[in-house]
Amino acid sequence: MPKRFDQARPFLTLGLVVAAWLIVPTVFKTFTRASFFELTAPVSVAASYARDLQEYWSLRLRSNSELIEAGRDLARLNASYDLAVQQNVEMQGEIARLEAILRLPSYSGYRSEHARVVRRDFSGWWQRLTIRKGKNFNFTVGSPVVFSGGVVGRVSEVFAYTATVDLISSQTVRLAAVVEGDIRPISYQGGLNPTFSSAGGVIEFVPLDIFASANATKRLVTSGLGGVFPPGLTIGSVIKVEPSTDGLFKSGEVKLDDRLAALTEVTVLVPLESY
Amino acid sequence: MASDDRNLADRSGKLFESHKGYDPRVVFFYFITAGLLLLLGGGLAYQQLFRGDLYHDRERAQNQRRILVPGPRGNIYDRHGELLVGNRPRFAVVLYLDELRARFRTEFIRIRKNYRETDDQELPTAEQLWTLARVSVVQSYLEQINAILGRDLKVDAGRLNKHFARDLLLPYPLIEDLPPADYARLIERLPVVSPLQLYTTNTRDYPHASTASQTLGFVGINEDVESNNLSGSDLTTFKMRGSIGRDGLELKFDPLLQGEAGGSIFRVDPLGYRLRDTKAVETLLPVQGKNLVTSIDLDLQLTAEQAIGDQVGAAVAIDVRTGEVLVLASKPDYDLSKFAPRLNHADAADITARGAWTNLAISGAFPPGSTFKILTSIAGMRAGVIDPAEPLDHCQGSIQIGNRTFVCNNDRGRHGEILLPGAIAQSCDIYYFAAGRLLTQDRLAAEGRRFHLHERTGIELPHETRRMIMPDSEYKERVFGEKWFPGDTANASIGQGYVLVSPLQMACFAASVARNEVHTPPTLVHRPNAPTLKTESIGLTPAQRSALVEGMVLTITEGTAKALNIDQFKIPGVRLAGKTGTAQKIVTKDGKTGTINLAWFICFAPADNPEIAMAVMLEGDTIGEEFGGGRNAGPVAATVIKKYFENKNRPADQKITPFKVE
Repeated sequence: MPKRFDQARPFLTLGLVVAAWLIVPTVFKTFTRASFFELTAPVSVAASYARDLQEYWSLRLRSNSELIEAGRDLARLNASYDLAVQQNVEMQGEIARLEAILRLPSYSGYRSEHARVVRRDFSGWWQRLTIRKGKNFNFTVGSPVVFSGGVVGRVSEVFAYTATVDLISSQTVRLAAVVEGDIRPISYQGGLNPTFSSAGGVIEFVPLDIFASANATKRLVTSGLGGVFPPGLTIGSVIKVEPSTDGLFKSGEVKLDDRLAALTEVTVLVPLESY
Repeated sequence: MASDDRNLADRSGKLFESHKGYDPRVVFFYFITAGLLLLLGGGLAYQQLFRGDLYHDRERAQNQRRILVPGPRGNIYDRHGELLVGNRPRFAVVLYLDELRARFRTEFIRIRKNYRETDDQELPTAEQLWTLARVSVVQSYLEQINAILGRDLKVDAGRLNKHFARDLLLPYPLIEDLPPADYARLIERLPVVSPLQLYTTNTRDYPHASTASQTLGFVGINEDVESNNLSGSDLTTFKMRGSIGRDGLELKFDPLLQGEAGGSIFRVDPLGYRLRDTKAVETLLPVQGKNLVTSIDLDLQLTAEQAIGDQVGAAVAIDVRTGEVLVLASKPDYDLSKFAPRLNHADAADITARGAWTNLAISGAFPPGSTFKILTSIAGMRAGVIDPAEPLDHCQGSIQIGNRTFVCNNDRGRHGEILLPGAIAQSCDIYYFAAGRLLTQDRLAAEGRRFHLHERTGIELPHETRRMIMPDSEYKERVFGEKWFPGDTANASIGQGYVLVSPLQMACFAASVARNEVHTPPTLVHRPNAPTLKTESIGLTPAQRSALVEGMVLTITEGTAKALNIDQFKIPGVRLAGKTGTAQKIVTKDGKTGTINLAWFICFAPADNPEIAMAVMLEGDTIGEEFGGGRNAGPVAATVIKKYFENKNRPADQKITPFKVE
């Protein structure tokens, strides 16, 4: 066999594989892809557990006085949260009473499910997280994901033990938002976020009487009108709005929470009707 | 070997065969070949160098399509920056049919296969199958919307086919005018990348419904949107519908208000579908039209319209110093919000039945009645036939002119010897019949022409009437073929007979008298630093001027408009100068012919240093009813004038802040 042919063999093989992949049925491709994720999920999960163990041992190295101090801080935080929880319960009761008096329909309920982040996948194309819970906790595609700073994103894929979350910095996420204090819905969508840059998004259809700048930002929150996200969750800060040339609306930029890039724990809001 | 050489020698005659380098017969073919090559090269060069642009243009025309999107119209504001006409977004969910070529084909094959498998004898034609495929695919997308919004909408096959055939590259609207809640749901639930998209168009927004409706006007559909800034005017172009002014300011200022169209140029395949995953060759954003700041004062306009109420008539208020029109009200009117996005037949028929299309302030021509006596007074004083300090005649209730007896319609027989201020205040007809007889009609008409009452005012509105008449003997001879009689002069001197003017003209006349000049060109465009008008002086002596104004003030305090001399209309520190008028109009109502009264009132204030002038004309609605200028038209003007001074004297922190429109 000529030597030149031997040298070309890898390329030929690659070409044949690509050609074969192109002609195999879509069902086979989908099955292969899903299987790949299901098979690699345990590896990611195991790596996540290993990281947890690593953190555990690193904490074991802390001095007793440090741990006691942290324990005190935690106790104070817990006390304040306990108070907030009590107030929330009272407010929910009041809301339920008012809804009953006014015969208003109740907001759809959600079940909160906390999940550990096992992997972050940021690129110029998408910005995703993989979390350590999936179908085993009845997650559904489209469920909202939040953290202490507001909205994280939406569940885009659900596997047996993991789920993929599209971050709100991703261009594939769009939601109905309102500027805090206003009731008119505007469209928020993740922006073009190059790797290593701070995350941002864009807003469109902003009414002309809304003003914001980098020095006078406005909080952007979920409207609750879209039926996916509950109202009032923080999306980010509007740092710029400028009128479009057609004079009908403004469009603008939103700065997202920097902690989105370093999340370790998120909460998935599972709609109760789907549970 | 020797044998072979011999054979060769036998064939060529020589031991070695040699090639003949020059053969005339071959050279001939060289020339032919060279000629052909030259022809080919020349042809290629010709096609490339001289016809390259042509082929390039043909290629562009074949595989590029242009989409034009109209720019929103500019806003219309009142003089204080209150929005009179704006734009309202209309949210729609649309489907880009040109992205569904593959799906249409797949569905076509599936439907055809189903028919064949069922062995249906009546297999539809290919065109019918394509229609079924398109409806099926579009319905599948519509089902997504139905599921999100809880609706049960079906595809209109006829509309879909029409859109597919004519406007393939334009988005196909599935639902238009979405309420905010539905729009918010779709934002969150529709996939970001999909042929289904949310789309916004705009329509005119009228926050004050019927206010100044005939003045503002309305827009109609413009099918012929053009763009000078987007290239490719030679390409096949799909145009989205725009709007064009049809009446009022929308029509007159259409070039200013009209937005600049934007659009895109896309590459398409031979069937006209947009090429997938290709960006637009060129994109231009539409730009909103320029804003128009009118001289209208919204607060005064609303006050005037409210004061007129359900009556038929018009009211015009003018800034005396600049000629800017503050109020231009006409009743009946129509609700402009019914024009957005388009007026339906029932509402159009209703407007027609009520006669509400006509802007009576500029399009109506009416006899001005006794308000015209101000012009007769001026003409008489300038001609020397009226001396304000001397009575003109002894009013005994009637006067003989020619072979006709004319009566005084105001307090018959009680005026006696009356001076000019009293004649104006009491509107004594006998005084003016006598003045007209001494003055002659030609001089009276000339004075009217001096005040430009014989011609259009030139206000920036369409359909201003041409029917105004300032009659003289030449007019009657020309139109009726009859000679002018002294009785005609008597009628004209009190604003009756052949005299016709519009309410706007009378408002301009009042403003001119207020400024002691002869011409007030009105304008509806607000210029914050507009200079004070300066035209020819009326030419009265101070005494004459004083008598004229005194008569107009007395009209309010003790004359024919004394109904306004009550607290409801009094303005502290401001004297109103006015003149009432009541003219007649022959009408047929319910099969009965008779006259209805036209109630007039012209005025200006303050009498000493005028700022605002007004004219109000109202039509009575019942034959023979008591309907007059002092009782009916006066209160409308007095209400507006009072509002004007209330606003002017309002504390600075409560005033509307004028704004600057780019």
